[in-house]
Amino acid sequence: MTEFLKVEGITAGYGDGPAILDGAHMTVQQGKVHCIIGPNGAGKSTLMKVIAGMLPVRKGEVIFKGENLKGLRPDQTLRRGIAFVPQERALFPKMTVRENLRMGGYILNNDRERDRRIDEIFDRFPILRERADQHAGTMSGGQQQTLAMARTLILRPEIVMFDEPSLGLAPMIVREMFAIVRMIAEQGVTVLLVEQNAVMGLKHADWGVVLDLGRTLFEGPAQEVLHDPRIQELYLGGRKVA
Amino acid sequence: MEQIIQVTILGIGLGGVFALMGSGLSLVFGVMRIVNLAHPSLIIAGAFTAYWGFRLWGIDPLVMLPVATLLLAAIGVLLYKIFFERNAKSATYSEMTVLLTFAIAMIIEGALGAMFSNTQRVTSPSYATDAFFLGDIFIPKGQLYAGMVSMLIIGLLAAFLKYSRLGYAIRATTQNRDAAALLGVNVNMVGLMSFAIGIGLAGAAGALTSFVFSFFPAKHWEWIAVLMSLVVMGGMGSIVGTVVASFGLSIVAAFVGAYVGSTWSTMTFFLALFLVLLFRPQGLFGEKPELL
Ligand SMILES: Nc1ncnc2c1ncn2[C@@H]1O[C@H](COP(=O)(O)OP(=O)(O)OP(=O)(O)O)[C@@H](O)[C@H]1O
Ligand SMILES: [Mg+2]
Repeated sequence: MTEFLKVEGITAGYGDGPAILDGAHMTVQQGKVHCIIGPNGAGKSTLMKVIAGMLPVRKGEVIFKGENLKGLRPDQTLRRGIAFVPQERALFPKMTVRENLRMGGYILNNDRERDRRIDEIFDRFPILRERADQHAGTMSGGQQQTLAMARTLILRPEIVMFDEPSLGLAPMIVREMFAIVRMIAEQGVTVLLVEQNAVMGLKHADWGVVLDLGRTLFEGPAQEVLHDPRIQELYLGGRKVA
Repeated sequence: MEQIIQVTILGIGLGGVFALMGSGLSLVFGVMRIVNLAHPSLIIAGAFTAYWGFRLWGIDPLVMLPVATLLLAAIGVLLYKIFFERNAKSATYSEMTVLLTFAIAMIIEGALGAMFSNTQRVTSPSYATDAFFLGDIFIPKGQLYAGMVSMLIIGLLAAFLKYSRLGYAIRATTQNRDAAALLGVNVNMVGLMSFAIGIGLAGAAGALTSFVFSFFPAKHWEWIAVLMSLVVMGGMGSIVGTVVASFGLSIVAAFVGAYVGSTWSTMTFFLALFLVLLFRPQGLFGEKPELL
């Protein structure tokens, strides 16, 4: 099997600053859900920014379907099918839900096709159709996160990356978020997820990656990560997972 | 009663022109976070364009308006390329642009003064000094035309921002620059285009101003404070806010001029600026203004 996306020995940082990622690696399999866990400041968000092309690679490579993504800008990785929802969700608060979705299809050249896809999104997320003409900033946190995730789907991406989609959401809403993640994966879209709540994240994932101090400590099937005693000790708060 | 209507009409007439002057400034601030102190000097450059078109060839300033708009937009592109593009990532960008645009204002003033001298000028098509009469109330044609064309242009600008692809990109970049870039918007190009449009609007405002007010190269100092008060009151970066503030303040200024004394009329704007900064620094219309 040729690798879908492979991250190898990545060193990267901000500006002239220190290396935040220091040799991180990760394997991404098509159609699977991948969960990246690790303590605050481990470099989880930074890794996603590197893959999205927001941050230059100092050393190492990101290979997507045989192509090195080194030096590509965010719009170029987007065109290749990699969409990213950063930690801050990145909505346009004073644009309506529909306008936000249209921005999601900004690089499409065909307005009619774009609006047709928005209609499909509305069918899958009825709450967004209900709120179509409301400013995004006036919606609840869960609805905003739904919009941010749904917006990536307009371009029919191959990989979506969600940085802490559950951040600041009530537990019940978090469960809905994960249901959406699963639904997206079931459509054959590959998912990369950063999750603060490691147990929750790993339970919904196929593949787990443990990042610390800019390095990959461990990666493997999510179940293995979940049940590895050392990882439980260090990153899952010492909890035993049934 | 009649006098009240009369004064209100004169105020509205002024408000229309100020609204156009201010909306270019608002657009540039909203998108680029550039506090463009050179905006009024560029308006004067637009006024000179219309003035010479009329003086040399007898072309109506309303016909010269698109010429002034395009000429100033081109100047805007040059200014952006030379001064603003390379610094866009700096953390002190907004502060830097204050000094930079101050210098640009002085350079433009100097250049216009050297070329055309500092005499007072006004473009004088026949309607500039004519008026309609409704009973005892008179409506100066010049102000009426200028105000109507201003509103038309602002309407077109709003429609452009609301419905066009570039308009979407401009609004998105204003609200969340990084997010726009992530979705494939070329934010630098958006910056350039907004700057060019903003300065083009200064050119259009200049063409209209040229037959409403007398002007000379150093006149922009008078306007910068007026425009700043409109833009701050409108909420820094909100075109709708700027337009509302323009009409509101111009009408108040007209009343002050009529009932308190004409020398106090301009003071209205400064006083409003002080009051807004003291009591409602976020502007009249809320925390985070949007362009529309
Ligand atoms: N824009 C930035 N400029 C400079 N340094 C940054 C920037 N963003 C993050 N960092 C630094 O990089 C390090 C890793 O940050 P990153 O956001 O990747 O961590 P994270 O694993 O996502 O943490 P969290 O769980 O808190 O989101 C931190 O030390 C942070 O201070
Ligand atoms: Mg993070």
